[in-house]
Amino acid sequence: MYQQNKQHVLTLLVLWFPIFSLAQDLQMSGFVRDSLDRPVAQATVTLVPDNQVYKTNDQGYFEFSRLYEGTYRLDIHHVRYVSEQVTLNLTDHDTTVYIRLQESRSSIEQVEVYGKITAVDNLIPAESAAMPVQVITRREIELMGSRRLDEVMKEQTGVAVVNDISAGSRAVGVQIQGFSSNYIMVLIDGQPILGRNNGNFDLSRISVTNIERIEIIKGASSCLYGSDALGGAINIITRHGAIMQQAQASLMYGTLHTLDATIEGEAPFANQRGSVVVSGNYYRTDGFNTDDRYLSSGSTTFPPYENYSFQGRLRYRISKDGTLGLTTRYASRNSKMYNVWAEDLRLEDGQQDRDINIGFNYDHHFAKGLRMMTRYYLTRFHTALYAEWLSQGVLAGEEEFGQYNHRLEQQFAYNPIRNLKLTAGLGGSMEVMDNQDLDDKRSLQTAFAYLQTEWRPVDRILTTVGLRYDQTNVYLGRMSPSLGLQYHLRENLLLKAGTGAGFKAPDYKMRYQVFFNPSANYLVVGNDRLAEVIDGLDSTGELSYVNSYMINQLVGNLQAEKSWSNNIGFTWTPIPTLQTEASVFYHRINNQINSVNIGTGTTVSQIYTYRNLPKAVNKGAELAVSYQATRDLQLSLGYQYLVAKDLGVLDSIRAGNYPYNQYNNAVTGEYRQSRPSDYWGIEDRSRHMANLKLLYMYRPWQTSINIRANIRGKYPFQETNGNQFIDDGDKFVPEHTLLNITVEKALWNRRLTLRLVADNVLGFMHRYMLGQPGRVILGGLSYRWMKE
Amino acid sequence: MHTKHMNTLKIIINECRNFILLGKISLGLALTLPMASCGKDDNSRPLYEDGKSNVIYDLAGDTEASMAGDVEGKEYRPFNIFLFRFHDQRQIWIKNANDSAQWLKTKDWDLAFTGPYNSELFVNNAYHEFNPGYGGETENTAVVLLRQPYEAVVEAPSDEEFDTSEVNKIGWAATESSPGWFRYSLQTHIMQALPNRTYAIRLPDGKYAKLQLINAYKGNPEAVTNMNWPAPYYTFRYYVQQDGSKNLNTREP
Repeated sequence: MYQQNKQHVLTLLVLWFPIFSLAQDLQMSGFVRDSLDRPVAQATVTLVPDNQVYKTNDQGYFEFSRLYEGTYRLDIHHVRYVSEQVTLNLTDHDTTVYIRLQESRSSIEQVEVYGKITAVDNLIPAESAAMPVQVITRREIELMGSRRLDEVMKEQTGVAVVNDISAGSRAVGVQIQGFSSNYIMVLIDGQPILGRNNGNFDLSRISVTNIERIEIIKGASSCLYGSDALGGAINIITRHGAIMQQAQASLMYGTLHTLDATIEGEAPFANQRGSVVVSGNYYRTDGFNTDDRYLSSGSTTFPPYENYSFQGRLRYRISKDGTLGLTTRYASRNSKMYNVWAEDLRLEDGQQDRDINIGFNYDHHFAKGLRMMTRYYLTRFHTALYAEWLSQGVLAGEEEFGQYNHRLEQQFAYNPIRNLKLTAGLGGSMEVMDNQDLDDKRSLQTAFAYLQTEWRPVDRILTTVGLRYDQTNVYLGRMSPSLGLQYHLRENLLLKAGTGAGFKAPDYKMRYQVFFNPSANYLVVGNDRLAEVIDGLDSTGELSYVNSYMINQLVGNLQAEKSWSNNIGFTWTPIPTLQTEASVFYHRINNQINSVNIGTGTTVSQIYTYRNLPKAVNKGAELAVSYQATRDLQLSLGYQYLVAKDLGVLDSIRAGNYPYNQYNNAVTGEYRQSRPSDYWGIEDRSRHMANLKLLYMYRPWQTSINIRANIRGKYPFQETNGNQFIDDGDKFVPEHTLLNITVEKALWNRRLTLRLVADNVLGFMHRYMLGQPGRVILGGLSYRWMKE
Repeated sequence: MHTKHMNTLKIIINECRNFILLGKISLGLALTLPMASCGKDDNSRPLYEDGKSNVIYDLAGDTEASMAGDVEGKEYRPFNIFLFRFHDQRQIWIKNANDSAQWLKTKDWDLAFTGPYNSELFVNNAYHEFNPGYGGETENTAVVLLRQPYEAVVEAPSDEEFDTSEVNKIGWAATESSPGWFRYSLQTHIMQALPNRTYAIRLPDGKYAKLQLINAYKGNPEAVTNMNWPAPYYTFRYYVQQDGSKNLNTREP
């Protein structure tokens, strides 16, 4: 059922329809619907803490009247559906709530699904991207027993966590539907997180303990988030709001001396007008070595590290219409690892990260269905990396990097009529790098405006249209549209389709930086400074050959990278216990930026600049099936087929350009002119990825067992035979299965939970999978205090 | 349109294959967990030893210069040249003017490893400019690049081919016409030996030889998993036909 959850665009959708009212006694009403938007009659809706109960009518309608302002919780039960809990603030408006239930599933979830309102700090719904949205709930994460965000993500259909070897030993990123990490935006509570290593965002920086839910948008999402969301987005929504005072502590310990300790607390105050949620997490691990053929003991390929993170969220209703919210987060990571090739070849590699996020928002309800939110966000990321050869006392590399980002945004949500919902906003951001002396262009200023509409012209059809415009100081403006459609062909059959555009502006490095690598003796010149640098080299006689034709073509002509994402699919629920979803996707990336050789020098061996490559395509299909076999047993399957190819490579092979024109297989000794069919695809992408999940609850023991098999087909690791594209003569990670088992037992009315986690039970390791440890066994417990 | 249908069909067939795979794996899981433990590794290594050739593993170049290479604030020192002699497999370092005077213009070496990461090779020659042996006593030497696997080279080219060959520096193969032995990928920053480049060499004493450069990284790994992987450590193999004939066959008889 958890799989089913994720596959759903909307697990729970709560729309606010505040209606202006002069009455002192407030009313809360709402509609309960199923995943296909049909009304759910005879559902029991309980209002907490008042304990009023209402049975929904044939329209799925319920209401509670004579209420005071404050925070309430609704518990919704129906035998054929998974129970939901919704927490909301009742201000001086009568409020209408829409609640969506999932079809009959075991009551395992009943106790634990907290479907809190998802949008307390962001009015933009993820669904407006018109791309498939996969949602992972808190309960799913708990059942997986995962500690870090990368562990959760890599078990999702179509998602992979891969090492980017060329970017260094610490560059790990997430890949979604074939898009690499530098095209995936990562947000926390709707605000972007900084800190990338050559475009790679390392998700292991983030602890999952205080995550309420994760939304994964698969495909271009620039219409929501602007540049960088070219290929998708991951939005992490943290816990907020409190009904009663409670606290929870948890501890896990096991293989690799992995320790994960968390303390969380939440409390309402000022008669439920305010709430505070705080959490702290400590995590450490020894790291591990997947390359013991070359690296001797004491070495690690995945670094040992320790991580602290603290988060606090405060919400306070300052007036009848307005609520203030404050979120602060601090995280730090220290890591030191050793790579030992020989006694005198010991490399010490260290990293220190600091991450601060402060978000402030003010949410105001106006009359006639207008809601406004003002958001200010400040974030800072700082990292220091070094690598040193110990015997020689020589630094192999050192880098220190820090940046700030300020963002101010004004959002509007407006429901002029019942079947039309508008979300609009405008704002600006300023990104400032610490090191200002190199160039005055090291700050990036962006201004943006957007409008999203959700319109239901008839009951069976929902359309979404989105439009966003971004303007930056270093690059031209860009418009990102999107269009989505959901159509109920039959009661149990829903058609979904969407199309959207994404972009990523060239960065500072690609436009202005002049970089010389003395050890490999090459020069990379930012596109805008190409003419100046080439002229300079020419005048001092340091130029031996340049491709002037290409330079004239390239200078000042670097375009933003663009994507165009399309998907179409069906959700089919033939019987209530079986849900299937199938879709095909087609992503086209134009103008991908890559380096190109434009000449040679007399002292500098090779000169490079950046140019746009014609296009790349990620296409494939996704399938999700979820089956409730019995009340206590659920099975699910997720599958992705993917073909990711750089069409420029195919062009080069067809044109016979060096070095693409050769096929060398050192193993077979085959050596010939290459053919387009030799091209396998882009590195790190598997053709086939699948996951099988089983969840069983044994009620007499209050014990659940969750078994997941994550299967990946073979994928290319590195191009090694010198022709610049992947063919079968290159190095691959073989197909493999990672089997994870988690057992959970609840005691004392679920106040105490014991958990046993066994990840990668089969112990699969490979020297090309630097981030995948062998078998890991962890045991732990969590305890919850509640003030009744 | 036809190909489109074919592609769709392929996708469907591939999907089916995967379901069969899934079925197999689930069965495997249910019956014997360890059986499904890992897929086969098809990254098998070619064997370099053939019983006739000399295979040199991990010959260390100027690793100190490479380690200090791209670090700001450190003095950038050029890589020291080293020479290599085929008949006794001796490595000779050229670290100062005395070394140069003693060795460079003599016939007592065959290969010079120069330039960044000692990656630019020269076969001792008195007539080619920039050759470390330029102006020395090594006459008659020449190199011909054969775009064939090492094993496939069974005979040295004609003397006419040697005489007309322009091959001097053997380094980065940036262009099609370059006689270089490796490519440096700007995406991965890795030196990749081109597997099908074999160098036929005419030595000062008129004997014929063949040479293949295999790897520049320590341990001769098939793929490098760390950007700081120690380099240069040269793995290469060569064969000198001692009887003076052009027979360079190193396959088992």
